[in-house]
Amino acid sequence: MNTKMKPYILLLPALTILIGIFISGLILGLVQSFGYFPVIGLKNFTLRYYLEVLTDKDFLQSLKFSFYISLISSVIAVILGVILAYSILKSRHKKSIEKFIYKLPIIVPHTIAALLVYNLFSQSGVIPRILYNVGIINSQNQFPSLVFDKVGIGIIIAYLWKEIPFIAMVVYTILSNINNRLVEVALNLGANNRQIFWHILLPLIMPSIFSSFIIIFAFSFGAFEVSYLLGPTSPKTLPVKAYIEYTNPDLTNRPYTMVINMILTFISVLFVWIYSRTFKLISKYNG
Amino acid sequence: MKKNNFIYTVVMYFLIFVLIFPLIILLIWSITNNWPWPHMFPNSFGLRGYRQIFSFSNKTIKILLFSVWLSSVVTLITLIISIPAAKALGVYNFKGKKFIKILVLAPIIVPPLTVVMGIHVTFIKLGLANTFWGVVLVHLIPCLPYGIRILTDVFEIIGESMEMQARVLGARPMQAFFRITLPLITPGLISAGSLIFIVSFSQYFLTFLIGGGRIVTFSMLLFPYIQSGDRMMASAYSVVFIFTVLIVLLSVEKVVKIYYKTENHFYL
Repeated sequence: MNTKMKPYILLLPALTILIGIFISGLILGLVQSFGYFPVIGLKNFTLRYYLEVLTDKDFLQSLKFSFYISLISSVIAVILGVILAYSILKSRHKKSIEKFIYKLPIIVPHTIAALLVYNLFSQSGVIPRILYNVGIINSQNQFPSLVFDKVGIGIIIAYLWKEIPFIAMVVYTILSNINNRLVEVALNLGANNRQIFWHILLPLIMPSIFSSFIIIFAFSFGAFEVSYLLGPTSPKTLPVKAYIEYTNPDLTNRPYTMVINMILTFISVLFVWIYSRTFKLISKYNG
Repeated sequence: MKKNNFIYTVVMYFLIFVLIFPLIILLIWSITNNWPWPHMFPNSFGLRGYRQIFSFSNKTIKILLFSVWLSSVVTLITLIISIPAAKALGVYNFKGKKFIKILVLAPIIVPPLTVVMGIHVTFIKLGLANTFWGVVLVHLIPCLPYGIRILTDVFEIIGESMEMQARVLGARPMQAFFRITLPLITPGLISAGSLIFIVSFSQYFLTFLIGGGRIVTFSMLLFPYIQSGDRMMASAYSVVFIFTVLIVLLSVEKVVKIYYKTENHFYL
């Protein structure tokens, strides 16, 4: 009996925090999204807020904008990250670089990543200065402002800067641990480098590429700082929209915030679910 | 084959340059007095930004130290909670393990903003909002997944056999833990601890919301400078931020190394 209970006892402190704050926070948010917020006298459960938010044009635009930014930045980060990892693998002087790119993405927070983009890509940034001095543009205004822009390029660049090293690190760790014999056999059988990459290495790293894709996608989808600092006033990303609704002094607005939050959470969780399903499917076919 | 390697080396250095270049610009901008458009290089350099940060009349240093203290407390608590949880997940098989594993990682996927906005009112009611411990508690949420995840991997590797051996030889549970398990998991503790410290130190939003402006960390000082586009000050603050993290991480690594060396000498 005692040994049976042991793992649960060991888990107790962690679960207390996770259930006490994480799960409670989610449930309280969910309850408020249905309009139950006794602090200000709202006590009826209703779907009204969901209906209102889901039919609001502004919200749908934000949803699209958030989705677009996360998708584009994550896809490009994965592609460039894999290229970087593969290049490190194929080139000499690996050791020190491997250590360096591992530290780069985690030490610098997203707020500073936003500043880096601002320093480089705003209309008085370093990139337009270089273009001007080289003679490609004749004035400041010829450079399209990439921060506060409606296409979200500044936000995407900031995420890329954080995420490429992360992907490269994950992929490189796996690539360098792959048994070299597989590659040698393929070489013996006459495969060229490209074939080895597409038919041997890529399938082996695919699961971790996929899981890191989900992590960075979910992160950029729910993160506030970068899109708050670099985003346009319209459309806003969902987290920024939720924040603005939240800081509205009129507390009867609170349920709208929570609806946006719940939709954010739902989509993130949905992605993880799709991920785990595909993962199962892949491992099934791989035997 | 050789030519191919050359291309990969070029690609690698190009990508790494692209990733490093913004940091170099950050460093330059932090020591700039005047850098008008369209000059490629600043007109004059100066340490105005750093002087303001490090002047005694300013509260910045105090807040910086306070942030280091807060994140250290968060790191310590996260590790203390993570060790037993990771042992349970890494060593034992039990009912509901799969579910708990998902629950533990969920805070990485679910936006922290959602959780904190949901629990905010409750924190106010409990008197935790605007307090040090309230902020520490919410920081645990993004930090725990990293602590438990990394240490679970460690426990999966070392298993329980060593500790069992000690117990068989008559060690008390505490003895077995401090003499056997703790030294074995120390490398994992350092890497988990470093990551947790960084995650906590970088938090802006959670601190801002739960701290309610009463609990001010260095990330919160930095934010308005970035927001207002004051490049020189924002860059100087960022450089101090990055160096602080580096110094904390390096000194932890060093201290642990010295500790282990002397301990080894003692036993030699």
